[in-house]
Amino acid sequence: MDAYIGPLLFLGAAGLLAIGVVGMLLSNHLFRMVLALVIAEAGVNLMLVLAGYRWDAVAPILQPGVAAQPMVDPIPQALVLTAIVIGVGVQALALTLVIRIREAYGTLDMAEVRARMEVDVAAAGGGEATGSRERPAGGRPLPGPGALPEPPR
Amino acid sequence: MMAYAVALPLVAAFLLPVLHNASRWLGILVGPAALVAVLLVVFQSWQPAVLPFAMDLGGFAPPWGITFYVDALALLFCGAVALMTLLLWPRDEGDGDADALVRRRSLTLLLAAAAAGLALSGDLFNIYVFYELAAVASYGLAAERGTPAAYAAAFRYLMLSALGSVIALAGIAIIYFETGTLNLAHLSLLAGELQGPTGMAAFLCLLVGFGVKAELFPVNAWVPEVYGVTTRRTAGLLAGLVSKLAVLVLVRLLVLVFPQEGLRDALLLLGVLGLIGGELAAWKARDMTRMLAFSSIGQLGLVFVAFSLPGTAGLVAGIVVAVHHMVLKPGLFLLAGQWGGGLRGLAGAARRAPLAGLLFVLFALSLVGLPPLPGFWAKFLVLTGLAGQGGGLGWLAMVAILVATVLEVSYLFRLAGRLYSRGDDEVPAAATGGGTVTAGVFGALVVAAVVFAPALWDEVQDMGAGAGDAALYVRTVGPMVPTMISGGAP
Repeated sequence: MDAYIGPLLFLGAAGLLAIGVVGMLLSNHLFRMVLALVIAEAGVNLMLVLAGYRWDAVAPILQPGVAAQPMVDPIPQALVLTAIVIGVGVQALALTLVIRIREAYGTLDMAEVRARMEVDVAAAGGGEATGSRERPAGGRPLPGPGALPEPPR
Repeated sequence: MMAYAVALPLVAAFLLPVLHNASRWLGILVGPAALVAVLLVVFQSWQPAVLPFAMDLGGFAPPWGITFYVDALALLFCGAVALMTLLLWPRDEGDGDADALVRRRSLTLLLAAAAAGLALSGDLFNIYVFYELAAVASYGLAAERGTPAAYAAAFRYLMLSALGSVIALAGIAIIYFETGTLNLAHLSLLAGELQGPTGMAAFLCLLVGFGVKAELFPVNAWVPEVYGVTTRRTAGLLAGLVSKLAVLVLVRLLVLVFPQEGLRDALLLLGVLGLIGGELAAWKARDMTRMLAFSSIGQLGLVFVAFSLPGTAGLVAGIVVAVHHMVLKPGLFLLAGQWGGGLRGLAGAARRAPLAGLLFVLFALSLVGLPPLPGFWAKFLVLTGLAGQGGGLGWLAMVAILVATVLEVSYLFRLAGRLYSRGDDEVPAAATGGGTVTAGVFGALVVAAVVFAPALWDEVQDMGAGAGDAALYVRTVGPMVPTMISGGAP
């Protein structure tokens, strides 16, 4: 049993990472992108913990009167704690931005948000929008801010 | 002592909002005071007799404790962090309330602290933490304007950067799994274990991860979007400073841990792709901000090409190209902030603002590489290095650099010609004030580089030789205790 569980967990960690990365690259929905990021971070954190884990060892605590035994490497666990804290902060910030984007543009569709942003950036820069993948140059103009339905409150 | 370069801006960043509430003047002064103190610390540490030296933070010996490694290159970047942040210190742009300005200054200080940490740290995980700190601060700065486009650009930037961070963390996990350490000096000793395909995969993970901030080719989609929505000062700070710190981290990794030839070729190829892609997009851009953003991608491509050259020559060329771009790009962004608007609306702008026009021409000439301006030496060093190296990729890179130079001449002087053309003198572009003066400081730095070229050349040679010496790094950090993983029982 023990011989299988290590590789199995590694595979699981790599799988989570792959699911997350692919999800972030392919998803076109802002909230799903954040979820994919959460999954990818979980996968990579699991990978870090496994990097220092020993199946035949105890928790790395020295106690008086107890003979020293082989111990799990505590450094990756400390690293993972830091990585989790950073991850939570970034995810919270990402969700805040999602809320603000939804309030401003009334959509969570990445292609639409991107097209609207390109127009706004070009207007702020004083030039006309150059073509993008979602909105080729010379195409139909995008609906104005009032043309989209208001987000439900 | 050098730990203050990180600690002072960090403390000031958190104190600034509190002090601002207590007294307005205290709030204005605390940020610049912290940065000036950092500059003083850097000047005090710049003694060739004691460099390089290493510091164990908290008194914990490596490889478990975190090491700060201080050599001339790290000091140069620390000083640049403080100086650039001072010059590009956020001003009242006239579009936000006082609280927004305080938040912006606080985030800028946070960015400065993280950037100094990236320059000094000698521990891979510590570098990751500082990188994330810089990333979070720059997400905030990307959204600083509070416009819908700013939020959208910040979110897209955050997603790309977080993806890169996850991949970099996976690379760190691989390295720890293979070697059992994350201290750079210790990794340098164990570099033999990272020679195989696993080590290569780890480096590519780190390259993608840290490449996001360094505007590396496949992961730089955020650049034109973010620079389009931030203030020009922030754009200058991100393009000029933060990108170079990410490059510095990658260079340290290449020198110390991954001396393989194949990895340098990968870096060279990505650099060439970034160079050509960025310059072509800049040539096509129709407003000055995005022209500068795309040209910054191209220039960073040149930095990667320079650092991919082997040995001291590559490091020297890389340092010169990187510092040159670090001075020029913020200056150009400040001028863009002064003028704003699309290229079409800039007709005759230089005749209304002669000094700004003169500075633009100076920057443009140096960027293109007209002797004796520093840009010439930067490109000259890279080209001679590539010619010396030879090989198919080397020749490809040389052609790419020459093509990029032609493109630069084309779009920069098209703009310069328009600036001096007899425009129809419509509405003069709104001046935001102070931009030209600060850009003038950058211009003075360029001229000073011409005047003091021989002295700077010696300095850069020493710097490159010191930074390229992996054995010196290991010796300076000190002897390593055997790792716990190989030792078994504690």
